[in-house]
Amino acid sequence: MIEVRSAATAQAGTGTPLLEIRDLTVKFPGVVALDSVSFDLLPGECHALVGENGAGKSTLAKVIIGENQPASGRMFVEGHEVNLHSYSVRESQRLGFAIVHQEFQLIDEMTALENIFVGHYSKVGPFINRVALRRRAHELMELLGLEIDLSRPVKYLRTAEKQVVQLARAMALDAKIVILDELTAVLPESDIQAVFRLVRTLTERGIGVIYISHRLDEIFEICDRYTVLRDGHGIATANVRDLTKAKIVRMIAGRELTKVFPDIGSPGEEVLLETRALSSKAFRKVSLSVRKGEVVGIAGLVGAGKTELLHALFGNYPLTGGEILVRGKPVRIASPQAAIKHGLGLIPDERKRQGLNTMMDVRKNTTLPAMRDYKKALFFMDEKRELTAAYGILEQLQLRYRSLWQGVGKLSGGNQQKIVLAKWMLAHTDVFLMDEPTRGIDVGAKAEIYRLIAELTARGKAVVLVSPELEELLGLANRIYIMYEGKIKDMVEGDRKDQATIMTSLLGANE
Amino acid sequence: MTNQGYADARRPEAAAEAAGRSFGEKSSRYGGGLRSFLEEWTILILLLALLVLCSVFVDRFFEIGNLMNIARQISFLAIVALGEFFVILIAQMDMSIGWTIGLTSVLLAGLMSRNGVPMGVALVLVFGVAIVIGIINGLLSIVGKVPSFIATLVTMNVLMGLSYLYSRGIPISGLPRQLNYLGMGYLFSIPVPVYLMVLVTALCYVFTTHTELGRSFYAVGGNAEAAKLSGINVRFVGVLAFVISAVLATVGSIGLTAKTMAGTASLGGDMLFDVMTVVVLGGTSLYGGKGKVIGVVLAALLVGVISNAMVLIGINTYYQWIVKGAILISVVLIDVNSKKE
Repeated sequence: MIEVRSAATAQAGTGTPLLEIRDLTVKFPGVVALDSVSFDLLPGECHALVGENGAGKSTLAKVIIGENQPASGRMFVEGHEVNLHSYSVRESQRLGFAIVHQEFQLIDEMTALENIFVGHYSKVGPFINRVALRRRAHELMELLGLEIDLSRPVKYLRTAEKQVVQLARAMALDAKIVILDELTAVLPESDIQAVFRLVRTLTERGIGVIYISHRLDEIFEICDRYTVLRDGHGIATANVRDLTKAKIVRMIAGRELTKVFPDIGSPGEEVLLETRALSSKAFRKVSLSVRKGEVVGIAGLVGAGKTELLHALFGNYPLTGGEILVRGKPVRIASPQAAIKHGLGLIPDERKRQGLNTMMDVRKNTTLPAMRDYKKALFFMDEKRELTAAYGILEQLQLRYRSLWQGVGKLSGGNQQKIVLAKWMLAHTDVFLMDEPTRGIDVGAKAEIYRLIAELTARGKAVVLVSPELEELLGLANRIYIMYEGKIKDMVEGDRKDQATIMTSLLGANE
Repeated sequence: MTNQGYADARRPEAAAEAAGRSFGEKSSRYGGGLRSFLEEWTILILLLALLVLCSVFVDRFFEIGNLMNIARQISFLAIVALGEFFVILIAQMDMSIGWTIGLTSVLLAGLMSRNGVPMGVALVLVFGVAIVIGIINGLLSIVGKVPSFIATLVTMNVLMGLSYLYSRGIPISGLPRQLNYLGMGYLFSIPVPVYLMVLVTALCYVFTTHTELGRSFYAVGGNAEAAKLSGINVRFVGVLAFVISAVLATVGSIGLTAKTMAGTASLGGDMLFDVMTVVVLGGTSLYGGKGKVIGVVLAALLVGVISNAMVLIGINTYYQWIVKGAILISVVLIDVNSKKE
């Protein structure tokens, strides 16, 4: 049977802490990831852990689940001290600690049911007792208030459903503490609401939730207390109800962010890129235009076809109909090579998988699409010219790096993204197709990317911006196209550019 | 941000000032110091150590005749391994090289001795066949997306069948005398195959380090998806890798045929193992995207010396196979496990 703590006794902010951490220090070669950080979690509490990338949130989470070994510090679970030297992932699971990441630790080919119980099957002799498993799984689902087809391999489930399976798994293991690590970063708005419901279900049952997220609004919505980390230091721990957004942003960044979005000027007359009734498997009859010096936003839920549209414009997703016009002339773009020739450049959402070659150095990554510009005598690379160009562009983007011969793998997300941008800036790109250019990068780096977008448009370049953050689109785009289930639902500009109008179209509510 | 337009960075004169400044430490990838030097040159150090050991323990090792013999043997191995190197570099595998050698060997011999085709024409035809083999391997693996391990295993079997059918299972002799010069001849008292190896090495080195296309191989091997989205013709590079592999196998095949003065179907039948050992020992990652031409050639030297020393000491062939197996598995263990930073 599933043990569920009585909901009546659990009230946020009372009782012996489920978890208490004192003066925790974690060192990695060359860096102090956490410096004497203290943290505590009460039964039935949702405790937000916030900070920029690299502030130490994940490190703290990993210490709690036994993945990282601290250099010093003490940890108490329900008042009893845990020996941190012999602490391990196994031990943390025994104590009832679970973590749910945005990257899945699910086995794709197995069904949801099997994933929930893998390693903990109830058995009849040597055989798995499917009937019992199914019954338990349904109890769990009911508890979570969701219905998922448990007999399907998880690879067919949606992102949000996979997260539910992971949560169910945590519950099946009788979790006392659940760490939710940036779950909502890849979720559409409607599914985020489901996550909130789950969090409430968990806390009502006295389970402690550690909530890690970049989206500050969510913290106000569901969290009781917050802890801010900055550069490995604990900055503050207090109640969410005494907090304002401006205050928390200040604590996270350690400085006042006066103005996040730069001014984007008025676009020119010339239409650089236009599509007419462009269709594919993922979208239908998409017509849009992009003018010189313009930022065109594309809003839409996960699965609306935004990423596919950008890839199709870049010759990397098969079209079934319609036409693409570059500077008014119809063109055939059947490959990324053709797209690049027509002045298009793609900044993909999955930076490490699609944007960079982590085995190559900074310089070679930067010049990859523009290699042929640095040739001499037919075949040979003119290394001096290439290095000079890479150096020039990276200095302009204020990349923080040690050497042009350094690998790109260990640079921060923001610096990696600057290299991807630099690639296209060197490659004569006129229209930058940006797919979530600020995904997973910290507040400071985001502001730099925004400023770069403004710089590009000031030079007469155009940007097609896909982003899950409405704020970003509202702050940067001259016009916003709204996609819903593969179709352009609406286009807003000027006065109509407000959150409510867009949300309505996004959710398909104005059908 | 400077007020200098980014477009200016493309113009060397505008960035001349930048050129004067430092681009950063070139060796920083390896951390600098003695340790990095050792890591980079492990193979060379192993090779020198082995040569010292051989000079002490192996009689007749440093005799001129033996050294010439090693040099010749290593030359063929290095040339064929350099072909396979390009395939491994893009994270694919070519299992068919041994029987590409076999088929081109019997074809070369057959065309000349049975059909009386002049040597020059026969050589051109044989290279044409090699290119076709490479294209087929490439199309199956890259365009057809058959795992190259299987695709080339299949072509290997087909080539084996064709080689035996064409040669009817017997070596084809009666080759023109001047062909022997390619395999056994000397120029300035150095065996001709050594010049061939030096030439192939130099071409491969310049190609991989100083040309756009050469760098594309590393881009495709390191991350094919990112390479494609950076405008690299991933399919072309992929097919080309298999063509280079087949062509260099054929260069080796011609040398070996010239050395034995007979077209033999099984000429390269047992070569795949040594070739794989050489490529991986040379520092080429089986995951693609990493490897150096010089490393492969040094590894060929190392494997060649070990083989020769074992023969001179009088170690039974069967034991030699076991020793080579141990070497390959050790190297792969190191490669695979050094992936985890």
